[in-house]
Amino acid sequence: MMKLQIESVDIRDVKAAQKTRVSDHIVYIDLQELEELILEDGRIRSVSLDLVSPGDRARIVNLDDVIQPRCKIDRENEDFPGWLSKMKVTGNGRTRSLNGIAVLVSNPCTIREYAALLDMSGPGAIGPYTTMNNICVSPMPAANVDDRDFENAVKAAGLKTAVYLAGAAEGHPVDDIETFDLHIPESGKDTGLPRVAYYYQMYTPQRDFYNGADPVFYGRELSGILPTVVHPNEILDGGIVNMHKIYGLDTYSIQNHPIVKALYKRHGKDLVFAGAVIGIANMDPVLRQRKAMVAASLISNVLGADGVILTKILGGLVQVDLGLVAEACEQAGVKTVYFVSFNDSNGALEEQITFFPDCLDAAINVGQSLEWMRLEMEPEKIIGGTPETRILHPAGIAQTAGDRIIEVEQSVFAGGFCHIGGLPIMAVDY
Amino acid sequence: VYDIAEETMDGKKLRIVHYLNQFFGQQGGEDKADMGLKVKEGPVGPGIALQDILAEKGEVAATIICGDNHYAENIEAVTEEALTLIKPHEADLLVAGPAFAAGRYGMACGALCAGVQETLGMPAVTGMFEENPGVDLYRRKTYICKTGNNSLKMKDDLAHMAGFALKLLSKGINAKLVSKETIGRPSEDGYFPRGILKNEYTQKTAAERSVDMLLAKLQGRPFESEVPVPGFEDIPVPESVKNMGSCRIAVISDGGLVPRGNPDKMKGRGNQLLAVYDMESFLPENRSREGYEIAHTGYLPFEVMEDINRLVPIDALRELEKDNVIEKVYPRFFSTSGNVTSSKRCGEIGEEIADELKREGVQAAILTST
Repeated sequence: MMKLQIESVDIRDVKAAQKTRVSDHIVYIDLQELEELILEDGRIRSVSLDLVSPGDRARIVNLDDVIQPRCKIDRENEDFPGWLSKMKVTGNGRTRSLNGIAVLVSNPCTIREYAALLDMSGPGAIGPYTTMNNICVSPMPAANVDDRDFENAVKAAGLKTAVYLAGAAEGHPVDDIETFDLHIPESGKDTGLPRVAYYYQMYTPQRDFYNGADPVFYGRELSGILPTVVHPNEILDGGIVNMHKIYGLDTYSIQNHPIVKALYKRHGKDLVFAGAVIGIANMDPVLRQRKAMVAASLISNVLGADGVILTKILGGLVQVDLGLVAEACEQAGVKTVYFVSFNDSNGALEEQITFFPDCLDAAINVGQSLEWMRLEMEPEKIIGGTPETRILHPAGIAQTAGDRIIEVEQSVFAGGFCHIGGLPIMAVDY
Repeated sequence: VYDIAEETMDGKKLRIVHYLNQFFGQQGGEDKADMGLKVKEGPVGPGIALQDILAEKGEVAATIICGDNHYAENIEAVTEEALTLIKPHEADLLVAGPAFAAGRYGMACGALCAGVQETLGMPAVTGMFEENPGVDLYRRKTYICKTGNNSLKMKDDLAHMAGFALKLLSKGINAKLVSKETIGRPSEDGYFPRGILKNEYTQKTAAERSVDMLLAKLQGRPFESEVPVPGFEDIPVPESVKNMGSCRIAVISDGGLVPRGNPDKMKGRGNQLLAVYDMESFLPENRSREGYEIAHTGYLPFEVMEDINRLVPIDALRELEKDNVIEKVYPRFFSTSGNVTSSKRCGEIGEEIADELKREGVQAAILTST
């Protein structure tokens, strides 16, 4: 039986203090204690911890991920298995969650081209994290730690901070309890409601770094894996984290997976939530076809779904991967709704579609991930890097974090784009 | 038509340069269509009406006038010359026309607005009737307000353009757009779509919309896809080459291979360019990898840069040519960068290449992608 209860505490401020605690909706953090906790990881030499609030003239750069403070309440469960604890399926029991606060984790030493940023004020203050009170975690590597190993250490530091902060809210009154109770083998029998599954193409090797995949599933990589069935609660409860870079998705969004939550909301009323299938994009055409075949078979023959919603991350060829899965589902008699993202400002909507089988008649326009923005903001505080930290320019022009004017694309902002549909936006011809 | 009183410019008076053709610039009719550029201080003809509409909000500082033929026949040179005349006025905005249905005038207005924006970084607005050929040529490069097909409603059209320009330049925020820009949708603000996409806020998240849509589909209720289905044509697989010995083979690649320094400025993403390079000089037998770079941000180019043959199998083709297995390698290499280029432009590039290959009697092509 899978039953997850997320108990939320609303947070309205975050402050440095002598003792870590949450009281009257304010998070007080003993930064030294947190620092010592993060430095227990031998891969980290030092760490900067900064607090930022909405309206601050702060720019956070080299962002790897955004994480919601969460911890398991009952002792038999584990926090972020594969990362901070031993393997244990997530999605059962009670989880404490803090709203209105996020952990922003930066890798100041990253050499990857696509590092995200976040402006807490000014024209670039878009997306949900600019309205929260956040803690920024920026570790520096110990000697002789290789780039990939350090990336894992950065992620772990962020997850550790998230668990530490949620743990501090023990005893604080709970503002909201959400229950995710779904026993798939028996759910919906004799209700006459349609069974709906979710296909989550949650990884793509497009940006694999040093030919290695990021460990997004229970702390290990997914590359090469065939589509597999997971319980939706595993997605919400720390079984899946984001890649080591924010490409229009972050762990916070996965912890609040908007499609999983939307399907739960209608479960038992308009539909029966039949479960989730996760998969990856393939760079090989035969593997791509095999993936589409297996995914559609799981959705149709194993989960017994009548309908499925399909999403992906990143763009380009992976849209073909997703389309092939959708096409195979339709051929198996499963009705599909398929997410399409647009990846360039140039060209009208219909000109940007390069792949679209006729049977896919229901597409969701999840937005234009690369809309240009020209930002004027003189940051007072740059976190996770220096004023000289390079900011990716859409046309390759050199620009840095301290420049008064920078030009960026919306998906470079943490929370500026959401491949899994968490934002109320769509791309429109202008 | 906007209520100009509602637009705010921080109380600053706009400096405007106005472009007119010889007719509206009161220089004469068709007999003066060959006249070159002329600058007049202050407003002329329709500019006086524009000044009335703007009242205290703006000042038509100068008027640039040119003959229709002269401009339409020398678009690049006249635009360049006009830019040098406009620059010293340190204006905030160029208003061109409106050109209504006049084709040559529309081309001039479109070219000048596009030039002013690109080169001087100055906003520009023109107005045309939908059938003006200038609309299709320039709507992607500048704002073209929709006007009538003749000057009967000149004053209304100018009021529309002026209001639109003020909105464009105002410090307000369009709460509907993620980018917070002031501009509205083409249908709301009466301009021709520029062929670009912007993120607009919606009532529900994409996730909520997707569940609504799926339920409608499952229950057999009507629903509307949020993405227009493009309707691709089926392209039949061509017959295989019968006689390789008399076959000339061309090489096409969308992997973004360009000479070091990227002299043609091929874009790594959203590229629109097809570059054609001479095989012998671009890919000589003795070549150094220092001579190349990859203009394509969609893949990691290390393997290609190690050995160009991984993208363009030129050494193997030359060997086949030497051994008479094929007749010849076509001496021109077609290079483009296929990374989120619009499918429309891809089709045009394909047609351009096919035209040349057909004309030159090339029987086969190797197309490598990444």
